[in-house]
Amino acid sequence: MAEVTDGEFTAFVNDRGEALLRVAYALAGSQHGAEDLLQNALAKAYTRWPQIRGDAEPYVRRILYHDQVSGWRRRARRPEVPLDALPEVPAERDSGHDADLRMLLRDALLTLPPRQRAVLTLRYLEDLSVEQTAALLGCRTGTVASQASRALAKLRRLVPAFAEYADRPEVSR
Amino acid sequence: MSSPAEEALRAAVRDLARQARPAPDLAAGAMRRGRRLRARRRAAVAAAAALVAVAAVALPFVLLRPESPVRPAVPEPTATVTPTPELLPTPGPSWSASPLALPGGWVVTGAGRGGSSQGGSGWVLDRSQGRYRPVQGYDGVWPAPEGTLTALADEDRPGEIGLADAARRRTDWFRTGKWLMQPQWSPDGRRLLLTIQGEGEPMRLGVLDADGGVRTFPVDTDRYFCTDYCFFTWAGDGREVALQQTGSGGPQSESARHPRRGVQLFSAEDGRPTRFVAMPGDPAGPWAWSPNGRLVVVQGQREPLLVETADGRVVRSLPAADAAFVTDDRLLYRRPYGDRDFVLADPTGRELVRQPLPPELVDRIVTVAPS
Repeated sequence: MAEVTDGEFTAFVNDRGEALLRVAYALAGSQHGAEDLLQNALAKAYTRWPQIRGDAEPYVRRILYHDQVSGWRRRARRPEVPLDALPEVPAERDSGHDADLRMLLRDALLTLPPRQRAVLTLRYLEDLSVEQTAALLGCRTGTVASQASRALAKLRRLVPAFAEYADRPEVSR
Repeated sequence: MSSPAEEALRAAVRDLARQARPAPDLAAGAMRRGRRLRARRRAAVAAAAALVAVAAVALPFVLLRPESPVRPAVPEPTATVTPTPELLPTPGPSWSASPLALPGGWVVTGAGRGGSSQGGSGWVLDRSQGRYRPVQGYDGVWPAPEGTLTALADEDRPGEIGLADAARRRTDWFRTGKWLMQPQWSPDGRRLLLTIQGEGEPMRLGVLDADGGVRTFPVDTDRYFCTDYCFFTWAGDGREVALQQTGSGGPQSESARHPRRGVQLFSAEDGRPTRFVAMPGDPAGPWAWSPNGRLVVVQGQREPLLVETADGRVVRSLPAADAAFVTDDRLLYRRPYGDRDFVLADPTGRELVRQPLPPELVDRIVTVAPS
C-alpha cells in the first residue's frame, strides 16, 4: 500500500512539480524559498494522499497560498528588496521599454508583503477572479480588492513607468 | 485582456514565476518531510492518549500539568524616572528555560515561525513548567493569555479549531465553521472569539468556550456596516466584542484603509448589540483598551492613534497599533521596524524601557500577555 502511495505521489510530483514550483516561486520570490514552500505543501499532501489523490493539485495549491499568507508562517521581517536596490528607471523610452518595465515590475513585486503578492499571483498568474481568489484565501472579496489595490499603488510608487501605464486606462481590480 | 498596465503586470508576474529552476528530488524530499510530519502527529496523539509525562523533546505540541506556576522576574521599575530608555540585557542562549519577562510585568507567551522552512515551528510558553515548549506542524498556534489552553489550526481540518489543554494533557478538535482572519482569546483565556463566514453566507460572531461549546450569532452587517478589514476583536472588559464600522463621509479608496467612524460592540454572551464607540480606526484587541476604559489604541487610516473613548478625540499618534495597555499610563509594544525589542512607553510616546528579544525570536511573530 505504501509503495502504491509513493509511486502515485512521485508520479504526481514529476508531472506537476514544475508548474507548482513556478507558482511557489512567484509567491516566495526566490528559488530556495519556493522549493521550501512547495516541499512543505507536498509533504502535507503526501500525509493525506489516500484522501486527496484524485484532487491533489488544487489541494497543494491551496496549501501553498495559505502557507504564504498565514500569520504563523509568514515572515515577520519580510525579505523585501530595499528601494535603493531597484534598477534605475530608463530616462527615455526605447525599443526595450517594455522589457525594462517588466524587469522593474518583477523586482518591485518582491517588495510586496506576502498577502499582496499572493493576491497578485492568483489574479495575474492563475487568472482567477476576485471571487475565486477570496474563496481560495478564505477572506472577503473586499479584502482581495483592497490588497490588490494597495499592491498596485505600491508598484506605481516604485515604478513610475508603470504609473504612466496605469494612469491611462485604470487597472481593473 | 484589458489595459496595457494589466498586461505589463501579468507579464511581470509570469516572468517572476519563470525564474524557477527545476528542483531535483522534490518528491523524495517531500515524502521524507511528510513522514516526519506524520510521525510527529502520531507521537502527539499517543502522548495525549496515554497521559504519560513527556520529557522535553520536540513533539508537535506538549504541555504538561500545571503545578506551581513560575513567575517571571519583572524588570525593575526604576526606568520610569529616567529620561532615556533603559536598555535591558538580551536573554542568553538558554532563554527557553524560563519565561521571557517583558517590562510592565508581561511575558512572551509564544513565538511563531516566519517562513515555512521549519514547517511552521515555534515555541509556546508552558506556564506549568515555566519554560517554552517547541511547537511544530500546525498552521496556527494561539496560546491563551492566561491558563492552560492553546488554540490550534490545521489545514487538514478546515472549519475546526483545536484546543490543547495542558491541565488535561489532551488536544480536542471542535467544528466551528469556516472562520476568517485569526481567532482571538478573551483576556481570561477561557473563550476564543471567531469571525465566522462560510462561502456566500452572512458573517457571524462566534465564541468557542473552553469546554468546546460553540455559540454563533448572526450580525446585521447592513445595519452595522463594515468594509475593508472586518473581524471581531475583544473589547477591554472581556464581555463585549467590537466590529469595525466604516465611516460614511469622505472618499473611500481601495488604495488606503477605509475611513472608520468607530466600532459597534456586541455582547459576547448573546450577540446582542450593546453600544457604539466612536473612534477613527481599528483596535487590535482587548489590550488596546486602557484598564479604566478612557483610552484606546487604534490603527487609523494612516497611522496608529491614541484615542479618547468618550468622544473619539485623537490624543496623539503612536509608533505602533498593536500596543498593549499594561496600566492606565503604560504601553507595551514591539518597536516598529526594529523587531528586536519590546518597549515600555508612557502614553506620550516617551520610551522608558527596552527589552531586546533573543536572536531566535527576532524574525518571529511574538505573542505576549500579563505574567
